[in-house]
Amino acid sequence: MSDIKIAPDDIKPDETLDCKGLSCPMPLLKTKKAIQKLSSGQILEVLGTDPGSKNDIPSWCERAGHEFLGIKEDQGFTRFYIKKG
Amino acid sequence: MSEFKQAIVRAYEQLFVKTWSPMMGAIMIAFFCILLETWYRPWGIVGGLRNWADWFFYGIGVYEDAPPHPLYFSSSVLNIGFIWGAFIAACLAKQFAIRIPPTLEFIKAIVSGILMGIGSALAMGCNIGGFFVALHNLAASGFLMMIGLVIGVRLGLSYLFWELEHLPCGGGKEIGFPKINPLLGILALVGLIVATYAYFHSDLDNGEILGGCLIITAGIGFAMHRSRLCIVNALREPFMSGMAEMGKAVSVAIILGAIGVAILKYQEIRPEMMYVTPTFGIGALLGGFIFGLGMVVAGGCGSGSLWRVAEGQLKLWVVAIVFGLTNSVIRYLFAEYDVIENGYLGKAIYMPDYLGYGGTLFLITIVMVLWYIIIDWNEETNKFVMEL
Repeated sequence: MSDIKIAPDDIKPDETLDCKGLSCPMPLLKTKKAIQKLSSGQILEVLGTDPGSKNDIPSWCERAGHEFLGIKEDQGFTRFYIKKG
Repeated sequence: MSEFKQAIVRAYEQLFVKTWSPMMGAIMIAFFCILLETWYRPWGIVGGLRNWADWFFYGIGVYEDAPPHPLYFSSSVLNIGFIWGAFIAACLAKQFAIRIPPTLEFIKAIVSGILMGIGSALAMGCNIGGFFVALHNLAASGFLMMIGLVIGVRLGLSYLFWELEHLPCGGGKEIGFPKINPLLGILALVGLIVATYAYFHSDLDNGEILGGCLIITAGIGFAMHRSRLCIVNALREPFMSGMAEMGKAVSVAIILGAIGVAILKYQEIRPEMMYVTPTFGIGALLGGFIFGLGMVVAGGCGSGSLWRVAEGQLKLWVVAIVFGLTNSVIRYLFAEYDVIENGYLGKAIYMPDYLGYGGTLFLITIVMVLWYIIIDWNEETNKFVMEL
């Protein structure tokens, strides 16, 4: 397994989705839904606490044609950044 | 020396911090399942949960007879070992934290726990004992439960899609202590070794057997958490995201385990009918369906719920408790009405009686390879992926 990408500092999300406390498969399902509402090139920020998301979200992005910009660790949760493809 | 140190750090990261690939996890789990059955018995989850729930009902005076002591009863020891191993894995990876979901998730946990309890009573096993390990043990009911599980998972996913539209929720949180995680992990590892020795040197007649069960299932729990191997994921993702990696891994684990157990049974090291339950019929099919429905809403199957318990996901704590309690009640009712003895759930079909050992392994391999190919093809074409 490759190392997970760290997001650049100056990222500005267009939308934020709170998935804190949720477990598999809800974070991915909600992400899938939230990204439908964005237009191509916009950035979605997902806040999550499930360790599984660190595998699921990047590999799903690759499959679904979105760009995974990376993560940032915050206090007690992780921020994921996805650019809609 | 510094390069040698770096090599140690890299090895630690690879084994204990980075997620293993599902395929690596699947092969390790098949290996440990064969070891466990060689040592004493097949792996299972629900028997142990039921033992704990039986104590609860005995304690409040509902059941008359005292259940076996949880520390002296192999089904219970398997779960203790499994959770212990997964806890060590979660801590060493700094992934143990108390995760509190939004309220809706707790309601889902209760409902799905009830469904899983009913389903696993009908199939006389959860997705492990009724499907994964049942196929290892060459029981035809494993295939029927698989069909039921797939249908249940598909329907459960429809519910989750509906929920997404109609019941928005958020606001969960995590209480973490990443700094002390590795310390907890090391303490738990030392504790596991001490407990295993304690069993081996105890006065119990079956002390050595239980000690082996404890440490081998800790291996299963460890491998399962490291690879996040999840049978719900394996059956769900082809419909949800199209991803097939987990499904492929599980199909390989079933083939490998079946080969191992076939050797044990052919050589009469284990009784042929071990884990061949009288559920080939409505039991495995309907049980699989109800269990499949429950496990998608729960977000964890029998095993997946327990390793998530060890990771600190409170939703899955509720699932595991309600699952065990419900299973206990239903099995109590089954015993009252001799449901299993009367064959209402189905027949016990040991596939080699009909197909021989070669034919059975051939059939299991063909079905698993077919599943592997179908989900791989689906990954490319999205044929079965549900639109949101």
